[in-house]
Amino acid sequence: MFNITLSDIGTGGIILIVIGALLLIIVIWYISVMNRLRQLELKVHEAESGIDVALTKRFDMLSKMLQTTKGYAKHEAETLENVVKWRSGIPKEATLKDKEEFFNQLNQVAQGINVVVEKYPDLKANTVFLELQSAVANTEEHLQAARRLYNANVTSINTIIVTFPQSIVANMIKMTKKPYFEAEEQKRQDVTFDF
Amino acid sequence: MEKDVRITKFNQEKKKAEFKFIVSGILAFIAIGLFLSSPESEIVLIFVVIAAIGFLVFLIMGSVEYSKIKKNFKNTVLKDLFQTLIPDIQYLPEKGISPTEAYASEFLKTADRFHSEDYISGTIDDVNFVSSDLKLEERHVQHTKNGTRVYYVTYFLGRIFRFDFNKVFTGNLQVLEAGSPYSRRKFSKVKLESIDFNKKFRIFAEEDITAFYILTPDIMEAIFNLEKRNPGRLSMSFLGDHLYVAINNNRDTFELHLFRKLDESVIEEFKQDLLVIKDFIVSLKLNNKLFKKD
Repeated sequence: MFNITLSDIGTGGIILIVIGALLLIIVIWYISVMNRLRQLELKVHEAESGIDVALTKRFDMLSKMLQTTKGYAKHEAETLENVVKWRSGIPKEATLKDKEEFFNQLNQVAQGINVVVEKYPDLKANTVFLELQSAVANTEEHLQAARRLYNANVTSINTIIVTFPQSIVANMIKMTKKPYFEAEEQKRQDVTFDF
Repeated sequence: MEKDVRITKFNQEKKKAEFKFIVSGILAFIAIGLFLSSPESEIVLIFVVIAAIGFLVFLIMGSVEYSKIKKNFKNTVLKDLFQTLIPDIQYLPEKGISPTEAYASEFLKTADRFHSEDYISGTIDDVNFVSSDLKLEERHVQHTKNGTRVYYVTYFLGRIFRFDFNKVFTGNLQVLEAGSPYSRRKFSKVKLESIDFNKKFRIFAEEDITAFYILTPDIMEAIFNLEKRNPGRLSMSFLGDHLYVAINNNRDTFELHLFRKLDESVIEEFKQDLLVIKDFIVSLKLNNKLFKKD
């Protein structure tokens, strides 16, 4: 009774259906790319929080180490303490650049402690110090893992942002390339301490 | 010196068993030849039956003798060899890893037929390990005109290892050369920075951070090199205090081979097969105490 054939719809109708279908495909694609970008952005934020946690852990461990070092080399320990910008951990408003700087400062402190240890063999024999040394090495591993995960997520999202046609969606939702957490170069530099 | 004498003795015994296999082969050949030449002659049929019985007798005698030699060889020569290479090692040729232990790796599919032998356990650099040969088979049923045929297909033949793992982490991480985890856990596929590593291995983790924490650039390189040194499909599962490794290489290790003379090169192969355990411990830095809980 309600059988409709192509001839009933007419050419104009067919064109409208095709355009409608194409528009629907474009909308679905747009939503899926947008969702993917939002999910990846969330992963980047999560990974950055991971860096914060690892940095805080490393900061706490190094602080404890400095306290132990004070018993043997007060002046050197205080000098190292002054290297760190934030004495009470990472502030909430800290940018990624600030965190990179903090990361490098902590590395400087860790290297400085190693220099002190060479000067004071008694410190090497301190069991508490040795345990802390092991814990600090572990926090370094966690920090490196968090940094690598963050950078891997940044690579994923940036690849979509710069790839056409997904870049159109990224532009429309005003999503820009995310910065990498780069700290390796500075970390590799030799640090000299004038105690 | 004593080792050389023992090896010479094993070679002599092996030759005797191999001779029985040769005789059984000749008898089989004769039986088939006679039967095909004149299948209707009764006298020929009697000779065929005699040759067939002879074939069976020699085959059984050879097999029994040969399995006895293999057993003796493992319990004497290999046991001593392993003791000298890794002190306090425990080698139980007839025992294998239990199914519970093997499936605890969560990368092996449950088998219809489970066979394991050559159980080795011990400690290297304070790292406890277990190693065992493993054969897993799947049951297949084929429906034909004449009825149903049941047969078994081997989908894993190789070795499985379990090591103490030295890092504390959450969740399960699996690094597989092929396939997917056999686990009820909720995994996500992880892509690491190394394109080559991602191409070669599939990484499944309950938490992404665990993959990055365990698979440091050094460890990724070590896994790559271990895979090159150990042909076959490599599977690794990091779970709790353990690292499970399986190599599906279609090889039954620590076995004597028929018609292959037992010499220094064979002994060297056995040594290398054992030292694979040490290679894993050292290459993956499992002996690094830095991250130990205690």
